[in-house]
Amino acid sequence: MLVGLIGPLSLALTACETRSSNELTNRLVVAQASDATSLDPQGANDVHSALVNTQIFETLVIKDDNSQILPGLAERWELLDDGLTYEFYLRENVYFHNGEEFTATDVEFTFLRALDSPHVAHILGQVDPNGIKVINDYKIQIATLEPNAPFLQHLAHSSAAIMNRTAVTESGEQVGQNPVGTGPFQFEYWLDGEYVQLKRYEKYYGEKPAYKELMIKVITDNTNRTLALKTGEVDITFNLPTSDVNMVEKNEHLRLFRLANFITHHIGFNLTKEPFNNVLVRQAINYAVNASQIIEDVLNGVGEVATSPISSNVWGARADLAGYEFNLEKAKKLMLEAGYENGFSASILTANTGISPDIVFNVVNQLSKIGIEINIRQLEWGSFIESISGNDHEMYMMGWSCVTGDADYGLYSLFHSSQGPKAGNRTFFADDRVDELLDLARSTININERLEAYYEVQEIIVEEAPWLYLVTGETLVGARANVRGFRINPGGHHKFASVYFQ
Amino acid sequence: MSSANLKSQMVTDLHVATKKKKRSQWVAVWKRLKKNKAAMIGLVILVVLIVTAIFADVIAPYGYDDQVLQNRFQTPNSEHIFGTDAFGRDIFSRIVYGSRVSLQVGFIAVGIGAIAGGALGAIAGFYGNRLDNWIMRIMDVLLAIPGILLAISIVASLGQGLTNVMIAVGIGAIPGYARIVRASVLTVRDQEFVEAARAIGTSDFRIIMKHIIPNAMAPIIVQVTLGVANAILSAAALSFIGLGIQPPEPEWGAMLSEGRQYLRDFPHVTTFPGLAIMITIFGLNLLGDGLRDALDPRLRD
Amino acid sequence: MHKYILRRLLYLIPVMFGVSLVVFTMMYFTPGDPARIMLGESAPAEAVEDLREELGLNDHFVIQYGNWLKDLIFNGDIGSSYRTRRPVSDEIIDRFPTTLRLAAAGVAVSVVVGVPIGIISATKQYSFLDNASMFTALLGVSMPNFWLAMLLIIQFSVNWDLLPSSGLDSPISYILPAITLGTSSAATIARMTRSSMLEVIRQDYIRTARAKGQVESVITNRHALKNALIPIITVIGLQFGALLGGAVLTESVFSIPGVGRLMVDSIGARDFPVVQGGVLFIAIAFSLINLLVDILYAFVDPRIKSQYK
Repeated sequence: MLVGLIGPLSLALTACETRSSNELTNRLVVAQASDATSLDPQGANDVHSALVNTQIFETLVIKDDNSQILPGLAERWELLDDGLTYEFYLRENVYFHNGEEFTATDVEFTFLRALDSPHVAHILGQVDPNGIKVINDYKIQIATLEPNAPFLQHLAHSSAAIMNRTAVTESGEQVGQNPVGTGPFQFEYWLDGEYVQLKRYEKYYGEKPAYKELMIKVITDNTNRTLALKTGEVDITFNLPTSDVNMVEKNEHLRLFRLANFITHHIGFNLTKEPFNNVLVRQAINYAVNASQIIEDVLNGVGEVATSPISSNVWGARADLAGYEFNLEKAKKLMLEAGYENGFSASILTANTGISPDIVFNVVNQLSKIGIEINIRQLEWGSFIESISGNDHEMYMMGWSCVTGDADYGLYSLFHSSQGPKAGNRTFFADDRVDELLDLARSTININERLEAYYEVQEIIVEEAPWLYLVTGETLVGARANVRGFRINPGGHHKFASVYFQ
Repeated sequence: MSSANLKSQMVTDLHVATKKKKRSQWVAVWKRLKKNKAAMIGLVILVVLIVTAIFADVIAPYGYDDQVLQNRFQTPNSEHIFGTDAFGRDIFSRIVYGSRVSLQVGFIAVGIGAIAGGALGAIAGFYGNRLDNWIMRIMDVLLAIPGILLAISIVASLGQGLTNVMIAVGIGAIPGYARIVRASVLTVRDQEFVEAARAIGTSDFRIIMKHIIPNAMAPIIVQVTLGVANAILSAAALSFIGLGIQPPEPEWGAMLSEGRQYLRDFPHVTTFPGLAIMITIFGLNLLGDGLRDALDPRLRD
Repeated sequence: MHKYILRRLLYLIPVMFGVSLVVFTMMYFTPGDPARIMLGESAPAEAVEDLREELGLNDHFVIQYGNWLKDLIFNGDIGSSYRTRRPVSDEIIDRFPTTLRLAAAGVAVSVVVGVPIGIISATKQYSFLDNASMFTALLGVSMPNFWLAMLLIIQFSVNWDLLPSSGLDSPISYILPAITLGTSSAATIARMTRSSMLEVIRQDYIRTARAKGQVESVITNRHALKNALIPIITVIGLQFGALLGGAVLTESVFSIPGVGRLMVDSIGARDFPVVQGGVLFIAIAFSLINLLVDILYAFVDPRIKSQYK
């Protein structure tokens, strides 16, 4: 009799696993590693806040998978003859969550407010405060200070989301806890440190979500977050550690989503310090490190070898560069040529979280094979950033995310000689031709000219090797098998409106 | 003989007599300790630990950072008796070298606490009044801040690394020793031989060092033994949240933290460092308890 | 008695002042720019400068501390978080009940487990039970609690799927964190209960009670326990206070949004106001608990009460 019970019992248990309680209660639960800091798109630009804001707010334009600009809250637009001003024709009959209609005054308000916020200066800093003109309720002009080719790309970033003037003015200091947007989800409740509760906005102009409630949960601990996915408590989990990839793939109740993101993990050299001022040494180091082995062994197969400073899915990136293949003999030859056949010693700085430390351990081990002895200094994030903002560092491990998906963001602040270490150029790289090309590519709107300029820039930068090129990252997302319609956004601005259960 | 010389002679005689009594007292303590089997086990564990730390280079079959990526996650076998970790490093060797880190942290952190705290406590107790007030108030400030938060703040401001962990844990230990020494000083301060010593012009420093501190030795010793245990645990805790020693130096708490994500598939990576910490602390606690019993003044009579 | 309490409360003031100064100084000299951390490494330098101005970060140490103190004393305002712009008091009050509940659960476990073991060990001194309990208790104290947490999670959550591993939504989700927190305290309380009961048992008036012919168990339970209660209460009070800010590791491992974790996160983000306000809050709570314990002393033992004149 006991045996007879086991059969239906186990069937019932497995059945419980495939139809999650979330699906039955018409809600989607998503987990990430940290809580949002502010639900004011202009008050915080960290990925955790952005994940929540992306569901509540919308931007004038959006990007498709190939980084092409598509209409968002603006139906169409044109660049006027002065080359500085865009004229946007706004979508009509769109309503904010507080019932007010979306009009050009909200857009004007949003951009003027943005100019006062240091959080979004890197996204909206080129907007000309005197160049914002409301023509009528559904038409607005926005000008930039200088001709800016990637401007539309920037407008698609979640920090450029349109906010409601009335709501923001009423909220005052509390604007970060009372978001009012035009998006498919409406804010309900934020339990500090635990979750944000959203619900479907019934008056949304576009396709409404298939489920009623969306909960974005905070589970800081990696093991627990993946565990919550396994038990079905959570439907989608972000920040999946690389070590869980195999488990998720093999589990028939789970699915793994992976997509190349915009992050290039690299080790930067300080070109003002010996021996890193010698290009032969830098190239030798690039030849000496086997990046594929790092991906396989340290990162569990997650990521691609980087052959360019920007990942191949960024607009303007070259996928055809040869890069530095693993060649220990060549590395030794270059070291000899540079006068360092006995190697040298140096120090490297790294933050103590994420995949950086593990990669550094491995690289240091590999470089010892050509005689380079490296002393590792691991620092906590705040101290780490501080330590590479001056001129004391020799080598440092970093992952730069080209969040706009446009080559300009991934190259300008890193390699233009006008940018110092505080802005991003921590290698003190300075090349006249590169400067020229980057300036040109930023200001011209001729697409071919831009592409050509970026192509040449990447070739030079790889040749000059101010970095040890390592890995371009992959975003890993784990989900229950019954979750459909989810697409990873390489910039981290994933939208859950299109998700449904099956 | 002049009266000054006579007094000096009396103090010396008193001193010598005291010393003899002290020596026989210590012998008695040791005898009592030996009878306590549990405490002996603790002592043995401590000795094994110290020997391991000193002779780590000889005992460990591999270096602590010999990465062989082809050998990752091996379970215990003949070549690697504790198996290998995520980088193919021999876990046994890392545990052996880790004993060095743990002992260093334990003794130096406690040393800082005991010496600085002891000095402050002695001064506070000896001079009393306002100095006492001020010093103990500062100790109260340190005590009011939760230990781990204090340590985290100090490491955040000084930076990661073995030295700074020792400083952070050491500073947290200061108030405890200050209190103990101050209490001892207060009991002894007004006794006759101290007055006598003062009368012949012995410097305060000498009085404190020669007459007063030895009195406080018993509680200090117990506190030290338990303090080392606490220091090792604190260092492990700091390493666990990523604020401890600098890698690739092996530290048992850091090894626990690193192995955490592999707990399901490769439990051996965390089992051994966990056991190492537990056995060490266990031994130190046994020894500390035994010392406390052996040094108990009431049992002496 | 009342004068004693008043004196203790007044004494708190300079100590708290000291705490805030120490914390402020430490944070001030910690490398890492809160503005830069908040805006990210890709933000332009001018934006970082603007934010620094806005937050008053460029002011001199004395001015910054002075402003903070002024706001606290005259406006009762301990500032706003740099990151969320919410008042620090809100941030703390949101999380304090959680930490309180967690600490209470931990203490409950330690008392429920520790006291009986201590009593049994004391009454059956040197028996196998005594040795076994003390051995286990010692193991409990020796085990790093984050390792215990890991093992508990693996066994009860991952392998057996019995208990939740994160958050504090339901009553059963308290179980694993409470066990983690309570274990080393339980061990300490067991040992403390045992030794203080042993001390009391040795004393003369127990002999007298025995001479009067009362039953053994009544003797132990009534006389010994009552007097052993004093050090036990101290330890419980200390544990509870320590758990308020010290449950950092447990909160991290179990993803519990408590005050401890708020502190660690804020230190990492250089969110000075939150660290300042938070540590001050914890220190005051801890000191008040100590005071409460001392007052309880007085009620349990009238001899001590007379000392508090």
